[in-house]
Amino acid sequence: MLDLCLLAVMDEGPAYGYEMTKRLRDRGLATVGEGSIYPLLGRLERDGLVETYRGASNGGPPRKYYRPSSAGRLALALGVSEWRAARDAVDAVLAPVKIEVAS
Amino acid sequence: MSDFVEQCRSEWRRLGVPDPLAEEMAADLASDLAEAETEGVSAEELLGTSAFDPRSFAASWAAERGIIPEPPRRGNARRRPLVLVAFTGLAALTLIVAGLLLLTGQPKVSLAATRATGAHLQSPPAGPFVPSGPGRHVLAQASAAAPVEWILLFLAIVALGFAAWLWSSWSRSRPPAATAS
Repeated sequence: MLDLCLLAVMDEGPAYGYEMTKRLRDRGLATVGEGSIYPLLGRLERDGLVETYRGASNGGPPRKYYRPSSAGRLALALGVSEWRAARDAVDAVLAPVKIEVAS
Repeated sequence: MSDFVEQCRSEWRRLGVPDPLAEEMAADLASDLAEAETEGVSAEELLGTSAFDPRSFAASWAAERGIIPEPPRRGNARRRPLVLVAFTGLAALTLIVAGLLLLTGQPKVSLAATRATGAHLQSPPAGPFVPSGPGRHVLAQASAAAPVEWILLFLAIVALGFAAWLWSSWSRSRPPAATAS
């Protein structure tokens, strides 16, 4: 799922590693868990789902920027569609549940 | 933080990652860690639990990029030592058998090849084992040519050397133990 989120945030505009982490954090996804984003970016690159280039950063050294390739944008569209279908199905199951918390 | 990058760089060197790629990953990682530190973001927030295990992190990143082979699956990892143990055991057993044969001098046997062509086809000398077909091998008694014991001994020594190399290769390819930093 994190790879889908990475494709989504870099689809907003090319970004380097830490920049993507910030975009994810801004949307409330602060914890990336065990693997971090770097191996995932490596896999996306190997699978041809992202394009990379070297570009200047704000006052810092040149960074490696990532953006979705055409295959990456297709994967993103399919992944979002699948995710929404799964989310709706789970919502339908959980919607009738009434939660009562004893105080 | 630079210590983390240095440990990653060392692991990439150990894994045989080409220098340009290792330098590229190290530079990107160092830049990101430095920027995060400037903004008060810890390495753990950026890297997750990988921040405590630079070697696994480095290996995982290189493997996902396809720079190094994927780590072997657990099933293969379990099977490989068993195959190695069996092979080493067989080689050692062959060595012992060859040694005993040489020490006791029994039996004195050898492999001798005979040519079988149309008109010159002759019955092989009486022996314990006579297979049929052209260019057949006759297991004859007490021949001075290439005694089986010495062949067995040679094969056993070569096999043990190969087994030692396999064990060495296997121990080097084992995943590194998790290290806390």
